[in-house]
Amino acid sequence: MIHFLYSQRWLPASVLFLLLFLGTSPWQGVVAQDDLLSMLEEEQSKEPTYTIATFKASRLINGQTIETISKNHLNFWISHRFGAVNSGFIANFFGLDEAKIRLGLEYGLTDRWLVGAGRSSLEKTYDLYTKYKVLRQSNTVPITVTAMAGWGINTMPTGYVMESGFTMKFNDNIERYSYWSQVLVARKFDEKLSLQVMPTLIHVNKVEDPSIPNQLFALGGGGRYKLSQRVTLSAEYYHTFRELKGDEDGGGGAFPYPYRDALSLGVDIETGGHVFQFHLTNARGMVEKQFIGQNVGSWGKGDIFYGFNIARTFSLDKAARNTHK
Amino acid sequence: MKVKRIFLSFLLVLVTSWTMAQSLYRTSVGELSFFSKTPVLDIEAVNQKTGAILNATTRDLAIQAKITDFQFPNKLMQEHFNENYMESERFPTTKFAGKIKEDVDFSKPGTYPVTAEGNLTIHGVTKPVTVKGSLVATANSLQVKFSFQVRTADYQIEVPTLVFNKIAEVIAVSGTLNLVKQ
Repeated sequence: MIHFLYSQRWLPASVLFLLLFLGTSPWQGVVAQDDLLSMLEEEQSKEPTYTIATFKASRLINGQTIETISKNHLNFWISHRFGAVNSGFIANFFGLDEAKIRLGLEYGLTDRWLVGAGRSSLEKTYDLYTKYKVLRQSNTVPITVTAMAGWGINTMPTGYVMESGFTMKFNDNIERYSYWSQVLVARKFDEKLSLQVMPTLIHVNKVEDPSIPNQLFALGGGGRYKLSQRVTLSAEYYHTFRELKGDEDGGGGAFPYPYRDALSLGVDIETGGHVFQFHLTNARGMVEKQFIGQNVGSWGKGDIFYGFNIARTFSLDKAARNTHK
Repeated sequence: MKVKRIFLSFLLVLVTSWTMAQSLYRTSVGELSFFSKTPVLDIEAVNQKTGAILNATTRDLAIQAKITDFQFPNKLMQEHFNENYMESERFPTTKFAGKIKEDVDFSKPGTYPVTAEGNLTIHGVTKPVTVKGSLVATANSLQVKFSFQVRTADYQIEVPTLVFNKIAEVIAVSGTLNLVKQ
């Protein structure tokens, strides 16, 4: 062995020389550091990177987005829908004389699960809902899926006249209930574009007329496009699939079918802890049962409502107290 | 003879790579935090998944942290940090690649003041920096602590006038890396 090493002296000597050369050259340092970095890169890329901020807020315009809020965070929502733009200048100052309001609160039980409650002045409706983020988009998963379920109670006095012209009578409180559920599926395509589809099922315990179905299936589609870091365009459309009981014999009900699909266009502006959402919509309701199922406005006739949502997020996390603005 | 030679060179490569691997100190749970202080607002965030490798032989040091791993007490702030300031989708990591200047024998337990020189990349912008810190060597680990300041404008991090008084122009960064011998 020893003899071999001596006789083949060139081998270790040359290798040693090469190592020595590499060790002292400045070029070697850069390569070695990059090697170290790529080792770190390889290790860190194994852990999933979850997509954040597919949407700016937990609501797109009227409806929900896949976004939930973080654990121990509270969202306060103030939503206004003014009167229709076509309601006249003298009579209604183009709609600004009146507004329907919804006040809402949302609380993050976990980073993926929220509960919410609200009260709308339209049909004096209280609503409760919960959302859970089932699947999160990441570098390996292409979409985010959130499941949502809600319940509402209409507290109008019995025998009131609805916006659609029907007279609604309630015999007991159970008849005032309605339920809705959604599967929200969204993908953030890049920094700017996010799209979402939302199959929706709505059930109302009591309908206003036999021509109106109790069960309603709707398919929503929507998205956002960021114009800048803080300004975003958004759109939302819900198409309803109804079995028109009254229409079988040529609109046989007492009225022509009064409800239309809701289309909303909006602009979101984000400033620190607030998100302002301004929009034009033919839907005046701010609860799923209303804006998807009982929407009387028509873009074609000019029943366009301007409205806004303001969301303010508060962190109730103890650790955040000291640093909270 | 030929077989012997191949065997020997193979052994040599093995031995060299083994000794080189032996001189690596590493962590994947390093702590990197920053602090922004203005009269209006204090902001603090911590990344506890910072990766770092130190080659004790060459004294090369590499540190890398994912932007999305910085945890803020206020999650909305965290979202804004990623979305508006760091643009983490375009620039997912911050990293440092450099060398410790002092010729320290890491195998000798003790506390050493150290200086690292290298390139710091934040928000896709790379700048040469010199960072001072301390190094505590024990039998099988090295604890590296450092702190330095970062001017947001140097790394093209835009702070809009609207929140200008809430985010400091100079951010204090500090880190603690408990590197373990591989």
